[in-house]
Amino acid sequence: MAALLVIVAQLWYLQVLEGGRFLDASDKNRTRIRPVAAPRGILFDRYGRPLVDNRPAFTLSLIPRELDRDPARRGAVLGRVASLLRIPYEDLVQAAERASPDSFQPVRIRRGLGLEDVAKIEEWKIELPGVIVEVEPQRAYPTSRFAAHLLGYVREATDEQLRQGRYRRGDMVGQSGLERLLDEYLRGRDGGEQIEVDALGRPIRLIQHKEPEPGAQVVTTLDRRIQGAAERAFEGRAGAVVVMDPRTGDVLAMVSAPAFEIDRFTGTIDRAAWLSIVQDPKHPLLNRVIQSQYAPGSVFKVVVAAAGLQEGKLTPMDRVFCSGEFHLGGLTFKDWKKEGHGSVDLRRAIVQSCNIYFYQAGLRVGAEAIAKYARMFGLGQATGIDLSGEKPGLIPAPKRDRRGRLIWHAGETVNMSIGQGQVLVTPIQVARFMSALANGGVLWKPRLVQRIERSERGVVWNDPGKVMGYVELSPIVQEFLRKSLWSVVNEGGTGGGARIPGLDIAGKTGTAQTMTNSRADKGEDHAWFASFAPAHDPQVVVVVMVEGGGKGGQVAAPIAKKIYEAIFLEKVASIDIRG
Amino acid sequence: MTLKIDRRLLQNVDWGLLVTATVLVAVSATTLMTLHPGRAGSAVALRQLAWFGIGLLALVVVISIDYRRFVQVAPLFYVLGLAGLVAIFVVGKTVSGARRWIGVGAFSVQPSEIFKIAFVLMLVWLLCSRWAQPITVSTLLWILPVVLVPAGLIVKQPDLGTAVLLFPVLILLLFGAGISVRLLAWIAGMGAAAMPVGWLLIKDYQRERVLVYLDPLRDPLGSAYNVIQAKIAIGSGQLLGKGVSGATQSRLAFLPERHTDFIFAVFAEMWGFVGCLVLLAGYAILLLRGFDIAASSRDPVGRLVALGVTGLFATQILVNVGMVTGLLPVVGIPLPLMSYGGSSMLVSLVALGLLVSVRMRQFQ
Repeated sequence: MAALLVIVAQLWYLQVLEGGRFLDASDKNRTRIRPVAAPRGILFDRYGRPLVDNRPAFTLSLIPRELDRDPARRGAVLGRVASLLRIPYEDLVQAAERASPDSFQPVRIRRGLGLEDVAKIEEWKIELPGVIVEVEPQRAYPTSRFAAHLLGYVREATDEQLRQGRYRRGDMVGQSGLERLLDEYLRGRDGGEQIEVDALGRPIRLIQHKEPEPGAQVVTTLDRRIQGAAERAFEGRAGAVVVMDPRTGDVLAMVSAPAFEIDRFTGTIDRAAWLSIVQDPKHPLLNRVIQSQYAPGSVFKVVVAAAGLQEGKLTPMDRVFCSGEFHLGGLTFKDWKKEGHGSVDLRRAIVQSCNIYFYQAGLRVGAEAIAKYARMFGLGQATGIDLSGEKPGLIPAPKRDRRGRLIWHAGETVNMSIGQGQVLVTPIQVARFMSALANGGVLWKPRLVQRIERSERGVVWNDPGKVMGYVELSPIVQEFLRKSLWSVVNEGGTGGGARIPGLDIAGKTGTAQTMTNSRADKGEDHAWFASFAPAHDPQVVVVVMVEGGGKGGQVAAPIAKKIYEAIFLEKVASIDIRG
Repeated sequence: MTLKIDRRLLQNVDWGLLVTATVLVAVSATTLMTLHPGRAGSAVALRQLAWFGIGLLALVVVISIDYRRFVQVAPLFYVLGLAGLVAIFVVGKTVSGARRWIGVGAFSVQPSEIFKIAFVLMLVWLLCSRWAQPITVSTLLWILPVVLVPAGLIVKQPDLGTAVLLFPVLILLLFGAGISVRLLAWIAGMGAAAMPVGWLLIKDYQRERVLVYLDPLRDPLGSAYNVIQAKIAIGSGQLLGKGVSGATQSRLAFLPERHTDFIFAVFAEMWGFVGCLVLLAGYAILLLRGFDIAASSRDPVGRLVALGVTGLFATQILVNVGMVTGLLPVVGIPLPLMSYGGSSMLVSLVALGLLVSVRMRQFQ
């Protein structure tokens, strides 16, 4: 009887005094939380066409709590997975040991499983406790390299990002381009399912379901059609293309080549493949539009002309006889045309891209004035575009010593006049420079993102555009320069390769020597073509830069022509690119 | 053999005892049925009830024969029982690491269960023999091998629980047979001294169970899993229980051995503290009736039979509920009349039959 009383006392203790605690324990026993990944926000072009999409993808994961405790049996399970999917056994063991053995959080092993692999795992399912195939939304791209640098790739959080504490292991994080910049908005919030399971972890029923909150939708300034056309026109080249709306600074297309395959980064990429991309001598990860600095070559002559005209150092009537050579001190500077251009005025010099004329014009205008106007046009400084890693370029500034004398050689001014020497610019800077010339002098901050919308809260962020400065040029000078650039394309100038009858394209070619005054590497010259159209009412700026392409007029201008054709001549419902 | 039961005997049948037992079996059947949804549950419950039916038949047979006859042939039962225990090592079936069953046609019989009755009868036979009275050290020396041989065989199966069960029954019977208090204390001292030896004899997993009993967090997913899950099941039932559908611990199989040894935890989860009190009250009625029968029997043989059988019930109930509630180490002992299992049901009803038989014939 006494024993019976002890038992009753124990029951009282367990059921009445400690009952609540045990009730919690039994609920914890029977329920599992299975996270449901939030779909990443979509990036749209200016007309609402998606630039990326999500599709369901299969991911192999381990649930640490459901793996066998016994090291030998767990090893057998992992070994089977390793042999089924040909994953190194060590990787699996490491992944399993990384998480707490009591965790229900899935440890992602391999993303982007093929259907065949999924079938293999499902077939062995009974014998693989703790191994699951999850369905997660994954990025899908129109083409493998589509706007790769602009959009950027998405990949599991790196160890460094995990250390910063903002992400959990296995989170997909934007690692470059807009995906990285807007990661906070695009990521969304994961939902989850609370499932009742039996002792073997088999799901019995759904208790609760929390919808994942999808990421925000981003409307960019891009035009998917123009982006595609620019990529096709640039196929097989190395360099960069920028298409910009000069009226707003909107970036309509941005191509950097060679590009990397964005979708390869999303899934599991092995070490060798990773290294082959990172160590590729052509640097496919580099966004040449903002990160590569080139000599602008003859494109820079427009700056010299603008400075000279505005400062009164040059007039359109000034003539120079071009014999093909120019002597300064003991140095000889050559024109690109051996026999020379003969007697040329300013407009002719721009149209023919006469070096001899600009050597002398540069000396008359002076390096300081040239540098001043170059900066006014936004050259040699970062544009502030919403992408990380932008390079500033360089406009060399002549300095004066204590006595007021220039620490500067006339020869440097000569080189600077034709955009060589120390002058370095990025393609995005040239595009903004062309836009300022086209729109009457407004220096826009290049715009990539128009607005960010959330499904229920509407617009959560928008960029009304930002003016960074004005180029103070008199209307007459502007008109003269626009006319001259029109002639470059349409009146037998160096840009004739871009000419489209009926469309007034204005532009300037450039051939940038990669090594100053080096004759040996002529074949390695970078080819520039910076342009806008229509000349009387500019709506688009197209800048093409081909690395090692040769002459701007022969290589870059025809590419620009193809892009213009796509923009203006392809049959489209609306030609108004204002959006 | 014809069953000749005269009317006077029939009037003295202890119906209260039988009704209590029947209610307990009904509770068992409903609990088993609710463990599984649908047909699987009813199948288990029906099988349990079928064994109850077979057990009732056995009970009727036992009642119709004078219990003194059984005691007279006790040595025969005892030898047969021992043979059964030995047979296990030859033709036994191994289930989860223990050889406890012998296949008989479609059924499995657990000889150690059946042996318990033979053991009680054998002890009664010994203690009531003329030479055994009064009980002295030499009597004890005679009794010792009768206890130790089967205990050793049962431990070897291994079935520590049943083996341990034999000793309280022995003590109780010695007490009932009028052993002197001094001698009883002496036996208790010997038993305590023998415990370290026992520690060395038992298997590793049994030792582990004892250690886990002392420290449940030693190995929460291994050997302590049963204890912890049973505690969670019982505790989460709280005052009034979670009902049939809410008993997740039991129905989702977190609780191991939920049909057999741990069925009390299932009941506790479903019906809570109040339900447990009712169930234990049922068992208390059973035991009180048993002791009452022993006390009121004028026949020393009948008194010892009733005492031994009731002692058997009492020990099983206390040890089972004790281990399920975490008061005692886990030893595999079923809860009489509740746990699923044919041998256990049959033996329980035969034991009840002996009790009823003693009651019926108390005035003879």
